[in-house]
Amino acid sequence: MRTPGHSILLGVTVFTSMSVSLLAVPAKWKPLLSAHCFDCHDAASEKGGIDLESALEQPLGERTEIWEKAVRQLQTRLMPPVDKDRPSEAEYSQLVESLEKALDVHASRHPNPGRSESLRRLTRNEYQRVIRDLLALEIDATSLLPPDQASHGFDNVTVGDLSPALLDRYISAAQKISRLALGRVGSSPDGRTVRLRPDFTQEGHVKGLPFGTRGGTLIRHTFPRSGDYIIRLNLMRDRDEKVEGINGVHELQVLLDGEVAASFEVRPPKNRSDHTKVDAHLLARIRVQAGSRELGVTFVKTPSDLIETLRQPYEAAFNTHRHPRRSPAVYQVTITGPFEAGEAGETASRGRILEGLAAQDEAGARELLRTLLRRAYRGLADDGDLVRALQFYREGSESGGFEAGIESALAAILVSPKFLFRVERDPEGARPGSPYALDDFEIASRLSFFLWSSIPDDALLDSAAGGELSKPEGMAKQVRRLLVDPRSRSLIENFASQWLYLRNLDSITPDGRLFPDFDDNLRQAMRRETELLFASVLRDDRSVLDLLNSDHTYLNERLAKHYGIPHVYGERFRRIELGADSQRGGILRHGSILTVTSYAHRTSPVLRGHWVLKNLLGTPPPPPPPDVPSLEDNTVDASLPVRQRLAVHRENRSCARCHNPMDPIGFAFENFDAVGQWRTRESGQPVDATGRLPDGTRFDGVAGLEEGLLKRPELFVRTLTEKLLVFALGRGIEPSDAPAVRKIVRGAAEENYRFSAIILQIVASDPFTMRMTKSQNIP
Amino acid sequence: MNFLTKKALPRRTVLRGFGATMALPLLDAMIPAATAAIGTPAKPVRRLGYVFMPMGADLSRWTPEGATLDKLSPILKSLAPVKDKVNILTNLELRPAYPGSHATSNSAFLSAARAKLTESSDYYLGTTADQIAAKEIGQATQLPSLELAMDMMETVGQCDNGYACVYQNNLSWSTPTTPLPAEAHPRLVFENLFGAGGSKAERQAALKRRASLLDFVKEDMVALKRDLGPEDRTKVDGYLDTVREVERRIQKAEADVSENPLPDLDRPVGVPASYADHARLMFDLQVLALQGDVTRVITFQLARETSNRTYPELGVPDPHHPLTHHGNDPAKIARMAKINTFHVSLFAEFLKKLDAIREGEGSLLDNSLYLYGSGMGNPNKHDHVNLPTLVAGGGASGIRGNRHIHFKEVTPLANVHLTLLERVGVHLEKFGDSDGFIEELAV
Repeated sequence: MRTPGHSILLGVTVFTSMSVSLLAVPAKWKPLLSAHCFDCHDAASEKGGIDLESALEQPLGERTEIWEKAVRQLQTRLMPPVDKDRPSEAEYSQLVESLEKALDVHASRHPNPGRSESLRRLTRNEYQRVIRDLLALEIDATSLLPPDQASHGFDNVTVGDLSPALLDRYISAAQKISRLALGRVGSSPDGRTVRLRPDFTQEGHVKGLPFGTRGGTLIRHTFPRSGDYIIRLNLMRDRDEKVEGINGVHELQVLLDGEVAASFEVRPPKNRSDHTKVDAHLLARIRVQAGSRELGVTFVKTPSDLIETLRQPYEAAFNTHRHPRRSPAVYQVTITGPFEAGEAGETASRGRILEGLAAQDEAGARELLRTLLRRAYRGLADDGDLVRALQFYREGSESGGFEAGIESALAAILVSPKFLFRVERDPEGARPGSPYALDDFEIASRLSFFLWSSIPDDALLDSAAGGELSKPEGMAKQVRRLLVDPRSRSLIENFASQWLYLRNLDSITPDGRLFPDFDDNLRQAMRRETELLFASVLRDDRSVLDLLNSDHTYLNERLAKHYGIPHVYGERFRRIELGADSQRGGILRHGSILTVTSYAHRTSPVLRGHWVLKNLLGTPPPPPPPDVPSLEDNTVDASLPVRQRLAVHRENRSCARCHNPMDPIGFAFENFDAVGQWRTRESGQPVDATGRLPDGTRFDGVAGLEEGLLKRPELFVRTLTEKLLVFALGRGIEPSDAPAVRKIVRGAAEENYRFSAIILQIVASDPFTMRMTKSQNIP
Repeated sequence: MNFLTKKALPRRTVLRGFGATMALPLLDAMIPAATAAIGTPAKPVRRLGYVFMPMGADLSRWTPEGATLDKLSPILKSLAPVKDKVNILTNLELRPAYPGSHATSNSAFLSAARAKLTESSDYYLGTTADQIAAKEIGQATQLPSLELAMDMMETVGQCDNGYACVYQNNLSWSTPTTPLPAEAHPRLVFENLFGAGGSKAERQAALKRRASLLDFVKEDMVALKRDLGPEDRTKVDGYLDTVREVERRIQKAEADVSENPLPDLDRPVGVPASYADHARLMFDLQVLALQGDVTRVITFQLARETSNRTYPELGVPDPHHPLTHHGNDPAKIARMAKINTFHVSLFAEFLKKLDAIREGEGSLLDNSLYLYGSGMGNPNKHDHVNLPTLVAGGGASGIRGNRHIHFKEVTPLANVHLTLLERVGVHLEKFGDSDGFIEELAV
């Protein structure tokens, strides 16, 4: 529940500070804790820095952190370790329940919603979406801004910095974007170079390009003005600079919004060894109308692309020495222009910016800028902001006319800290270290950045202005609206891709000798499968448990072949119903997850076990101590199978502490190799996929692991909730957040963990709607 | 709206757009202007550059006779005009490049480190000399370092004898696991260095626009600061420091534009079709980057190891790599030597341009140090001894030229790296397999 105001809160704080000593862990648990915990966690041993014996004697309010940690360890049954004397199941659950109850009561008396940083910069990812929503302009932010660093698993946490290099890039980006948005051009033609991944196989059809073509790429490009543009193409070359796959004549086409704009023939050089000029003529000057257009570059498919060989050819074809390309491929597309520029035309971004303009004068500019500022500063623009923006308008319009003025003001808005930073201010006069309710505009931004990774739209700003977001029903209405909006795709592309490590796929390159069939096409198909399953749970508002337990999945031909599933043809992904005995289904069986948690040359039960503990169970083991050798380099006989080598490794006591829970989870996946293909034998031995969950449940294979995880769904939902909270709040989750997390999970359980139920619980929670003022004792 | 459309684009830019033979070296028009006297900077800046030549050289035509360069060998002939600022170093080896391969010739050249044998993404090398320098002398400039190459494409997967392609693609590594990709596209390099470029007036106007945006940022920051609590104010103060730092850079750039005689910067649009034009453009970009003090550390790969580029303009229709496995066929060696000669001549042209630009008491060349060389000696044998190596420039800090320094003992190339780093003010005790400094080049 939201709290109406500070004055009442202050009253609560005073009241509760007197009652701290009233709360304690019930004394009846002392014998149980003593029997099972104090061996290691008493004042003398204090293993892991945890002394429960002393904590028990102290008021709960002073030791909530240690008890929250204990709850978590007990809940997942990580403690006491499996090889020690453990409480019964009944004792476990009663103890956890009792501790939680005491902690929740304490939390309700001492609300601590936590404190996100006051100043948080837009991430590069958000920036791209914000420009799209503010200006109806598609940009490629990766070419304008440096990447963000991730912490707590997400890139929107460490965003309080502003280096000179970054500010420099922001200024350049603002200038470029404002020019592009209004369709104005600089003094010399601009260029864009798009390069295709060298391990992208181009023998087949590429989605979005016409049928009957193969390979190439489809580029969405904003042509700022009508005029001539020069399209330059280069072909893939091998390490010897020879154009790959060149045999016979190939037709290469440039398509503009699906229409052929230019066509070339590509043929082998007369002097067979000199490939210098093979693609020198791939240069076209074409007339383009201003606006956002799709530029396709692709080869016309010819029957000769089907070749017969004795051996079945690999699906992957990009490496000259192992599985060469059978036909030429596009490497790079460069768009330069405009030359002989004409009108700016009616583009989406001009429409959005100049919408409703009455007259091209200062009064008109004032109205345009007022709207722009409201959107760009998320409802926090004041009169001073308008005055400053108008100054830029005047300077620009004096030398270049009305639109030059708007461009100039827009550039200024895009570098303002009010645009680049999300600001949450402590209320004036508030006591240090006390909770307060965020105002409606701050809530609106939290909502839109959580669900859209972008700015609020007009409707959301209106509801904030009307005070709707302070009312539970008003908030719920907006959340439902935001969730069904296509912009919530960011939950898949931005949240899920980071939570599940899909983003790491791009940097994974399995060993080409062992997995000759891996190429970028497969990599992207793997990513898509997981995105589509997540999307279906989100869009159909199903239980999030369906992510683990799915009777269907999404495949295209490439991935279906990889999985050995027949009768799936073409690039298009479609829903495939799976039988009960299928090897595929939930995310634990997805090639994407199985590949990002493997080494280049073999599976890693350790990485996979770690992934499950961290991302599904929320109990990541601590990082390995320094100077630990990897399995490769240590003294364990390298000829033993991985399972046996890990067993030898776990005989070392300091290794065992973390690897005992981790490795046996990872073994569940041993039927999947390092690129997620099913296997029943490994190095000549039958695969052994038996394992054990931290609670002692033994299982065989991934089905057993899934069953074990689904037996206690609250652990998985709690972890997902925490990940969503990190993403929503832009800060790490603290033990003090645990009561709020429990409340969210309990609330969602009543609705069978439907996706929207979790989201609605989160946005109604104290950490989302409130914030602590800065406490005094922390400098 | 129409003030820009009235403006005719320079014809040359339009022609360049076709990327064909029209791309002219950027500097043809600038040399006379550049030699005009300018104000003396208080302190000469020191810069460090590396040019990598693939697959060794014909050493019989490379190694000069005698202890001076008065009688230049055939491959080095083109250096005659700048020989007083050049030293040839003979009897250097690159032990970490063994077992002999192309991948390691490239990767060990600047790292003096052994590449971990792997084809996958768990590659491991060492921090390269240029990056060590960049961390010290590169911080004051817009770009700490600049990595350039001539090959437009990065190869992936397996490249050479089980080594990942990154070893062969990247000369420069900022950490043992972070190869820095090099850029071969002149337009992308140009934009990285100079933004949109333009005439002096245009560049000044562009800087003014940036400065005025920066003022705006500052005003808004100050306004923002008033609304925040003490702790967050401190944070905004940090941002304001950032704003002032960027302001300082813009002021420096403004000063550079008015004081430095950089020519009109006409943004190159396409990639020149001929290798020579492309290479000259890449060298010209280096001259401009150094002259404008945009960066002080540069690496440039003239071609990749195992390059199969042909040089028809030299009368060498054979691809380079097979030619280096010449089997001691004199005709093949002669053709390979033509390529070596050609590469050196491009570098010599570049040195002449650097030397024509006054800076302080001397020339830009005097205030720069360039190492030119290869990770291989005799490519027919894939060996890593007798590396063809030359050091140019450095006169401002007292390095003499016109010497053929012939080491009696086989000397690690890493000693040269160590010494050049020392020369630019980066003191290390050891680098890679170094076992001392090169006295002849040492301070």
